[in-house]
Amino acid sequence: MKSLSKGSQAALITLVVGALCLLLESMLPWLTSYPKGWELAASDWVGLGVKSGLDFIKPAARMFSTLMGYPMAAANSVLATVPWPLLIAAAVALGWRLGGLKMAAMAAVGLGLVVMSGYWPQGMNTLALVAVSVPLAMMAGTLIGILANEYPRFREPIQALLDVMQTVPTFAYLTPLLVLFGFGPVVGLIASAIYAAPPMARNVLLGLQRVEPEVKEAAVMAGGTRLQQLFQVEIPAAKLQIMVGVNQCLMAALSMVIIAAVIGGFNDIGWEVLLTMRKAQFGAAMLAGSVIVIFAILIDRMSATLALDRRRLWDGRVALGILAVGLLASLALRSSLPDPGSYQMLDPVAVWLDSWLTDFTRANADLLTSVKNGIMFYVLLPLRIGLDQAILPFTWGFLWTPGMSLWFFAAAAGTALVLGLRGQLTLGLVVLIAAGILETGVSQLPWPFVLIGAAALSWVAGGHRLAILSTVLLATILVSGLWERALLSLYLSGAAVFACAVLGGGIGLLSAVSPMVWRVVRPICDMLQTIPLFVFLIPVLMVFQIGEFSAFLAIIAYAVVPMIRYTRQGLIDTPEEMIEAATAAGATRWQMMRDVRAPYAAPTILLGLNQTILYAFAMLVIAALIGTTGLGQSIYLALGQADVGLGISAGAAMAILALIADRIVQGFAEERKRALGL
Amino acid sequence: MKKSTFACVLGAATLVAGMGQAAELGAVDQPIKLAINEWTGQHVTTHIAGEMLKAAGYNVEYVTAGMMNQFQAIADGEIHATLEIWSSNVSDEYANKVSEGTIHELGDLELDAKEGIAYPAHVAELCPGLPAWEALKNCAPLFASAETLPAGRLVDYPADWGTPGADRMTGLALPFKAVPAGSEGALIAELRASTERNTPLLITFWQPHWAMSAYDVKFVDLPVGEEACFNDPAWGPNPDAVNDCDFAPSRIFKASWSGMAETWPAAFEILTNYTLAVEHQQPMMGAIDVDGGKVEEVVATWMAANEDAWRPVVDAAIK
Repeated sequence: MKSLSKGSQAALITLVVGALCLLLESMLPWLTSYPKGWELAASDWVGLGVKSGLDFIKPAARMFSTLMGYPMAAANSVLATVPWPLLIAAAVALGWRLGGLKMAAMAAVGLGLVVMSGYWPQGMNTLALVAVSVPLAMMAGTLIGILANEYPRFREPIQALLDVMQTVPTFAYLTPLLVLFGFGPVVGLIASAIYAAPPMARNVLLGLQRVEPEVKEAAVMAGGTRLQQLFQVEIPAAKLQIMVGVNQCLMAALSMVIIAAVIGGFNDIGWEVLLTMRKAQFGAAMLAGSVIVIFAILIDRMSATLALDRRRLWDGRVALGILAVGLLASLALRSSLPDPGSYQMLDPVAVWLDSWLTDFTRANADLLTSVKNGIMFYVLLPLRIGLDQAILPFTWGFLWTPGMSLWFFAAAAGTALVLGLRGQLTLGLVVLIAAGILETGVSQLPWPFVLIGAAALSWVAGGHRLAILSTVLLATILVSGLWERALLSLYLSGAAVFACAVLGGGIGLLSAVSPMVWRVVRPICDMLQTIPLFVFLIPVLMVFQIGEFSAFLAIIAYAVVPMIRYTRQGLIDTPEEMIEAATAAGATRWQMMRDVRAPYAAPTILLGLNQTILYAFAMLVIAALIGTTGLGQSIYLALGQADVGLGISAGAAMAILALIADRIVQGFAEERKRALGL
Repeated sequence: MKKSTFACVLGAATLVAGMGQAAELGAVDQPIKLAINEWTGQHVTTHIAGEMLKAAGYNVEYVTAGMMNQFQAIADGEIHATLEIWSSNVSDEYANKVSEGTIHELGDLELDAKEGIAYPAHVAELCPGLPAWEALKNCAPLFASAETLPAGRLVDYPADWGTPGADRMTGLALPFKAVPAGSEGALIAELRASTERNTPLLITFWQPHWAMSAYDVKFVDLPVGEEACFNDPAWGPNPDAVNDCDFAPSRIFKASWSGMAETWPAAFEILTNYTLAVEHQQPMMGAIDVDGGKVEEVVATWMAANEDAWRPVVDAAIK
């Protein structure tokens, strides 16, 4: 046993447990389906506990809610009463000051489109929400970051807290937030602040940790108190990293505003998107969603200049001039200016988009159906319910018999044997495990196998502490009675992540090789990440109907982006010396990619995979709107029934799956980094 | 003073039945907040009620609110009334708030709703024999999809609205598998795709809804539901199962914040007596969703043309 590598040992244990489960399945039915009697009514307890806790802090929360109402109303009335030519002029002037002609033009064109679309008033409501939630998130994030920096003891629990804040789906805690803070935009504000604070906190901490020791020592020698050191030396020194945090915080808040619209109380863009989505009007939903994309791109590009090392401020007099023109224009046109909501110049575009979608689905109906059926029959169904149930005369054309199962296992064993003899024992064992999973189907895996498999994988990735953590967390899902749903979620997001890894890796590779490809891919990535996710659902539904396949595609559309970005980033970031050395050794372009760039990029690519996993889980909740049956559906059920306990339990289960996957991938990434000496 | 007003309102509330009794206006300067939910029919219903309240001299504010999440707000008095609650699609939260006494039910809107198993008209050509439900027995394979093979596919309500479609399929022993839609948008997208591509579709749907006319949706004829159908397996075409009949008729009603009767007695009376018929609501929905009109304008036109339909309710409360 000692002579085996860590990976082989883990794989062997998993294989033995899996084989035992498979053999004993018929005798001990509790192996495959966890008995109802062993479940604890956890979600009821959580519901009761949270409810009484909520009642306790409700008065304070309501007071906070009233307090937040004032800045909210103020921001809202300022944005609503200032005439739009002046606001646009202000944005253009700011764009000029930060980024010169290019950014000024971007602001002018972008906001001009918003006015033309007729969504100006709703857009301003959305901005008012962001304007209040972002400072809130930034303050909270900075405090958390400083706290983690000052007290290293708290660092680990704080990291865990930040992970929870980012992985528990917002829908899961909307109900308790509603009870606590009362109805209205303040709930959306708090939800978006919860989601936007972690990136700020992480960047503050990272920035403070990266301050050069000499700088810190100089501050100590100058004899300042700790607070003086922190605020007068270290925070200014960490400014650039903190500005990255501000940028990320803004983007996160903007993406959450849409989700918060589900509650209502605020006639914003998110509500508009929901209304059009309800009518399945793709064009109109796209138009409303584009307003968010425009805001996101403008805010992103402008705030990104703040994080530049040597940033240049353009001539302020021009900015003042632009502002003056805006002011004059609004004064001159004051009486004749119509309501900005009445412009609907872009409606023909929406109509055109809608009819294009109709023509497309009509023209390609047969092709699209056969693509869908192909992937369902040959990939998704076997993965979900296993070969033994997925292969039927009307899917594959024949019936899967127990004899075939035997042949299948024999072939897998043969492959494993060959691999083992060639010294790749771990890979051989993994092939056997994969064969077992494929035969049974992910949604019907015996629970002891999943627990032990996850523990073994965690052990290889991060040692015994991670193994214990994974087992305990998974066990809580098991006893809470959400196991079956969790497996369904795991299957769907697992399949999507796999597809993203292959697809995104490929596109990332192409973009790294050819700048031309990247020029096309980049704006698509920007759009996919900032447009409200709901908007994707309509075209996918129109083409592929309700069901898993549509959800699968929607998840891929959203989660593939980080994979592309990080793969490309990793591949082009190889240090010059290494490239030169390889060129000198006479490596061809392909050899360079495979033997130099790819290994060096591995940690970055793994980080991308990690983000893809988190994105896929985030999208699962949205995908429940097109009829998936996993944890996402439970969260909607809970939201509809105002069932606090079920919502939080299902949200927690989702976060647990995401956290375990995240920790395992990060463990492997760390190991790669160490191997590369980074 | 307050007590006597309240007593008077209680009297008014018990005496309703259309003839109402003059009540005090109450706090006219405080705006009455009405919930605007996610669907057009509700917008029409609410705007008519709002205009009626304005005609009585009140100040009305429309607040957007998610159907499922509005009840906490109404219980807290942050929204004062919601005017189109469907009994088929109401959360437990509502019942809790009513029994808690923080939400008060205002009676039926008398909008004649129908739910059922439905299909776009062109499907009748693909599956001859429709609308008789027996035709579905043989047509099932036509409706099959990759997820449901060999059974046919029925697109059911989103899971949080319950599973009435699946219950019908089991009750009538039809070879269909119900797939929950996830959202209303998903139901509409299915109807639209089916109509545009001329493909078969069986769906759980309801009226009044703008899509009924936009996609020419027809209901399948199911045995008319009686009380016995839902408890007694022996009743109906399938001797072994309950639910072998049409949907139980759904009720559409109104509700308000419990403090409404005290704060705005006359408004409480107006909203209690307010009713709206499908024949009135459906054309307005069409004018908005199909012809692209604005809710305010469409409602204003209707109010001007149908003064006799709403004015008496207002007058009874304030004069």
